[in-house]
Amino acid sequence: MIDSIFIGVLALQGAFAEHSASLQRLELDRNIDVILVRTPGDLSECDALIIPGGESTTIALLARLAGLLDPLKEFVKSKPVWGTCAGAILLSESIVGAKKGGQELLGGTSVKIARNGWGSQVESFEVPLSLSDVGDTSRPFRGFFIRAPVVLDLSSPSQSGQYPPITIVARIPPSLLPPSLIESNNVVSEDDPRTIVALRQGRHLLTTFHPELTEDNRFHEYFMRNCVLAGGMGKDHKPSTATTATFG
Amino acid sequence: MMTSTVSETPQGAVAGGNATPSVAPSRSTQRDGTPNSSLGTFGVKSGLAQMLKVIPLCLVVHLILLFFRQLGGVIMDVVNSEQARIAEEAGACAVMALERVPADIRAEGGVARMSDPKMIKEIVDAVTVPVMAKCRIGHFVEAQILQAIGVDYIDESEVLTPADEEHHINKHNFKVPFVCGARNLGEALRRISEGAAFIRTKGEAGTGNVVEAVRHERAVNGEIRKASAMSEEELYAYAKEIQAPFHLLKETARLKRLPVVNFAAGGIATPADAALMMQLGCDGGSCLVLATVDTSYELFAVVFVGSGIFKSGNAAKRARAIVQAVTHYNNPKILAEISEDLGDAMVGLTIDDKLTGGRLASRGW
Repeated sequence: MIDSIFIGVLALQGAFAEHSASLQRLELDRNIDVILVRTPGDLSECDALIIPGGESTTIALLARLAGLLDPLKEFVKSKPVWGTCAGAILLSESIVGAKKGGQELLGGTSVKIARNGWGSQVESFEVPLSLSDVGDTSRPFRGFFIRAPVVLDLSSPSQSGQYPPITIVARIPPSLLPPSLIESNNVVSEDDPRTIVALRQGRHLLTTFHPELTEDNRFHEYFMRNCVLAGGMGKDHKPSTATTATFG
Repeated sequence: MMTSTVSETPQGAVAGGNATPSVAPSRSTQRDGTPNSSLGTFGVKSGLAQMLKVIPLCLVVHLILLFFRQLGGVIMDVVNSEQARIAEEAGACAVMALERVPADIRAEGGVARMSDPKMIKEIVDAVTVPVMAKCRIGHFVEAQILQAIGVDYIDESEVLTPADEEHHINKHNFKVPFVCGARNLGEALRRISEGAAFIRTKGEAGTGNVVEAVRHERAVNGEIRKASAMSEEELYAYAKEIQAPFHLLKETARLKRLPVVNFAAGGIATPADAALMMQLGCDGGSCLVLATVDTSYELFAVVFVGSGIFKSGNAAKRARAIVQAVTHYNNPKILAEISEDLGDAMVGLTIDDKLTGGRLASRGW
């Protein structure tokens, strides 16, 4: 029997069912078993974890109430984790726009992120994204941005060396950034960190949009191949300089 | 039957993951210099067509909200920003702003309307979770106002006094997504054809009695099972019988569930109630059940006892327990733990002809 690989999907709140369905559609040479993670016992069986979109405040609270917060913090230190939308917020080192009184994060990447960068639901949008580092970059990916967060910064200088290098997988055009984030008269350059919507840092993947809501499996495959099955942290691809920012 | 928002983006709703991106998606609102994105398009407003791989009979069929895929949690009724903060702290994934909570509407009577926009704005500023707001059935101007002040979702609700006794709002005319209540399949499909992006059971709000919500959930699920075994000829007759658009009924029968996200509301007062609705929903094949909670009546009382009591009050604890119950709905052991020591639930009302404030669920046509 071929060894199964156990991929957890954090199922406390949010779009976990779609991630599970996307994973089950993948055709890899390893068998994927999806575990819906609701308790520390579920988590202990997982080789890797996906944290879905939802409300980051709710997910963090439910994680604490379920006794999952500390096990999750330990998990992100050693195992591959992918966060979409709210999940990306939880994997960040620091956030802007936390609820009053602050909220808990898991950390795991050096990224600083702003919650709900675009405003209310009616500002949600979809845009075709061109990808890099992903297997098939010839066609765009449909990005759904739903009350999406915005990456503010990739790392602070004091952290250099603590984190593996970052590979940028997708950006949006600067013109799509929320006006509230852009200082007046400032032209945002193409390589501004705020235009980043998908990035990989070592074995962690962050996407501020929702690949699980399409039938396009490229991100799930990318996570499996480059984060989960790739093994070590150092096996980065050699993407073109235009799409890569390396820190540390 | 489609409005501009909808008809502009047939591609958005049907293209699926392998979109044909050579054609720039259209957008309902054009921002300068951003020709390449779609804002409030049908694909964003609805969704899941991608996931379902359905051949579109009609775009409306694919009105499954992307955002509600993200919710899957508990929405709490609030009447001011303080309550909204308590709800957020308790783990609500959204708050519902209304003028008075259903229990008070019942007790006090009178015409219940949309909330003061100022109060809604205060709530929007106070919390980071999405804010929903109720408007009266058929009152499209209230809906326009709510959309203008930036709420995330609108509930065209029977809890408020109806403004139109024949027509519901044409919800295709709005960028903001709508939720509507339904007691049975026909009513649910009529609301979907008007553009409702998701459907909730009506239940009997403000009673703390879950029986009506169960009845509505069972009714919808039972009718779907019945329809899914029918031949096309029988479906034509059944569509006439339940007064539902045929194409929506056919699609529902094929999917064996509503073509939009379904959630439970009305009279949910305990963690067990919430888990009951979750299990009923899943049994019927709905992907997702949300629960709105009638705890805010208690929250309301707690808020006015004095500051500092928010965290210690039973209401906050109960709200939090209900949030947990929605996550762990099929784990009775955890449900037992979180149901412990919650104090008294809100005073329950028997739903009969003498019900104070009358049956709200019978509103809607």
